[in-house]
Amino acid sequence: MSLLTEFPEMSRTDLRDFKKGIDGAFKEFNKAYGEGIEGFFKPLLYALKWFEDLLVDTPWPLMLVIIALLVWLGSRSWPLVAGTVISMLVIGYLGMWEDMMYTLALTTVATLVCIVLGIPVGILMAKSNRMQAIITPILDIMQTIPAFVYLIPIVIMLGIGLVPGLIAVIIYAAPPVVRLTNLGIRLVDTDILEAADAFGASSRQKLWTVQMPLALPNIFAGVNQTIMMALAMVVVASLLGVHGLGLEVLKAVNNQYITLGFMNGLAIVAIAIVFDRTSQKFGKRLQKHSEVIHG
Amino acid sequence: MKKLLATAAIATIGMGGTAMAEECGDITMADFNWASATLVANVDKFILEEGYGCDVELIVGGTSAIFASMDGKGEPMIAGEQWVNSVRELVDVALDEGRLHAVNRAPILGLGEGWWIPSYTAEAHPELTTVLDWIEHPELFPSAEDPSKGAFVGCPSGWGCQQVNISLFEAFDMEAKGWVLVDPGSAAGLDGSIAKANEREENWLGYYWSPTSIIGKYNMHPLPYGVDYLGNDYWNSCITQPDCPDLRPTSYTVSEVFTLVTDDFMQTGGEINDYLAARVYPGTVMNSMLVYMDDEQADGEDAAIEFLISHEDVWMEWVSSEIAEKVKAAL
Repeated sequence: MSLLTEFPEMSRTDLRDFKKGIDGAFKEFNKAYGEGIEGFFKPLLYALKWFEDLLVDTPWPLMLVIIALLVWLGSRSWPLVAGTVISMLVIGYLGMWEDMMYTLALTTVATLVCIVLGIPVGILMAKSNRMQAIITPILDIMQTIPAFVYLIPIVIMLGIGLVPGLIAVIIYAAPPVVRLTNLGIRLVDTDILEAADAFGASSRQKLWTVQMPLALPNIFAGVNQTIMMALAMVVVASLLGVHGLGLEVLKAVNNQYITLGFMNGLAIVAIAIVFDRTSQKFGKRLQKHSEVIHG
Repeated sequence: MKKLLATAAIATIGMGGTAMAEECGDITMADFNWASATLVANVDKFILEEGYGCDVELIVGGTSAIFASMDGKGEPMIAGEQWVNSVRELVDVALDEGRLHAVNRAPILGLGEGWWIPSYTAEAHPELTTVLDWIEHPELFPSAEDPSKGAFVGCPSGWGCQQVNISLFEAFDMEAKGWVLVDPGSAAGLDGSIAKANEREENWLGYYWSPTSIIGKYNMHPLPYGVDYLGNDYWNSCITQPDCPDLRPTSYTVSEVFTLVTDDFMQTGGEINDYLAARVYPGTVMNSMLVYMDDEQADGEDAAIEFLISHEDVWMEWVSSEIAEKVKAAL
């Protein structure tokens, strides 16, 4: 009877040895290659640090003008520019300007890395069913595995600070841009591709002049989701000692400071909304543009 | 005065208590929710049950919950590893009014918070001993984000010790000496940064506390500060407060850990109080046991048996040879 009620588990000592074995192998790997891997990320660290310092050291009025200009260039919407400026002023007035700049720096760099790595991977997935079969489960893991699980090995390999924080953010935020690039290319009408074939387009020409432009709205939706997810990960990145709004949220959580928590949490929301609306409007403008051409 | 009262109480019980020894009865004991305390509780349980014939029930809880219950309701009767600093005023009142007694004022040696470096760092620079010496050499601890500065790893954001470390960082004028205060963000970040430094034999200077498996596993070396402790009043009114105008270098406050018993138990516990008073864990032994618990993922009960088997020399001194024999037989 107990055969059915008790699950046939691995024995406790075997299980322990199994876990210790893998931990030990990781530590050996870290000893052998950790320094090299850390060195590999050094340029990224210095770039990120430089960008962070740039945002923090730029006088705030100038920064405000630059942000407003970027929002206008992206969205061409005066109400959105006004909303952005007002929320930035409120955030600054409540003493969160510097933290906001740290958070902006991290999410901007994380998003750029996600786009630079994610779009080629998405194209690769769209070109080959086998690649899609391999990459899809990896993306599933990246999106669902609890962040705390990979934080520990990342910290042991790379220490605490910006780079481990950035990597944690990228792991979680990269999948949408990959998935939607893949989806966007695959959704391009086969009739249109046949037409392109009929005109004798090479596969490269087909990709850049037909598939990518038609997939742009989807790719933009992916970028937009990536930005949102990067912002959502700011607090987790702070568990590794990354400066910014997330660290203040952690402080609030540890001390039951309700107001401090909401202030910093809502500041993250405000940045998210600005990013979201701007990138959505930018995406829509691109789409309109392409509709004119094809229409 | 407090001490006098406590010793007087111990003396009276010591005389009247021997008759009680035969039947010990039911005892409730706190099992705090951290590793060293659960080990202490389980070792006590084993020795009291097998050696003294008691029936011990462990009550699980955190520092303030257990203390409130002991102080208010007299349950549990014994708290083996009560950290005093966080509830100092309440403890003082309870001791003064005789509701509780501190039968042992240092059950674990060498414990407390402070600043630590790996032992290989200490060995590489025998000429540097105190914090005052080490903070003159930020170049030994280059920060990852800005290698021209030294990294001092403080206490995670939002913990009580965060402000203390910020104050001490300023009081020792470390920014001007070329240091940055690194916020590790979380316990995982702090532990991870120590683990990473040790795996690669990199230098590390920062905040931690003992007894912990991290200190034991990596054989971390506590730094003396090279300055006097300026007293609890100064500590509580300045170092623990933000923006104190009068920051001066001081050593870290000493963490006090007591073994507390209720007044009832003080009167009736007999020789068990003598056992509790004699039961002192050397710091290195405690840390090595915590490493064992961590490595083997052992719970308090397993760890207690491991301790009793592998550290006979330590615990045999706590009890009479007759009781030691009984405990050994039960192992």
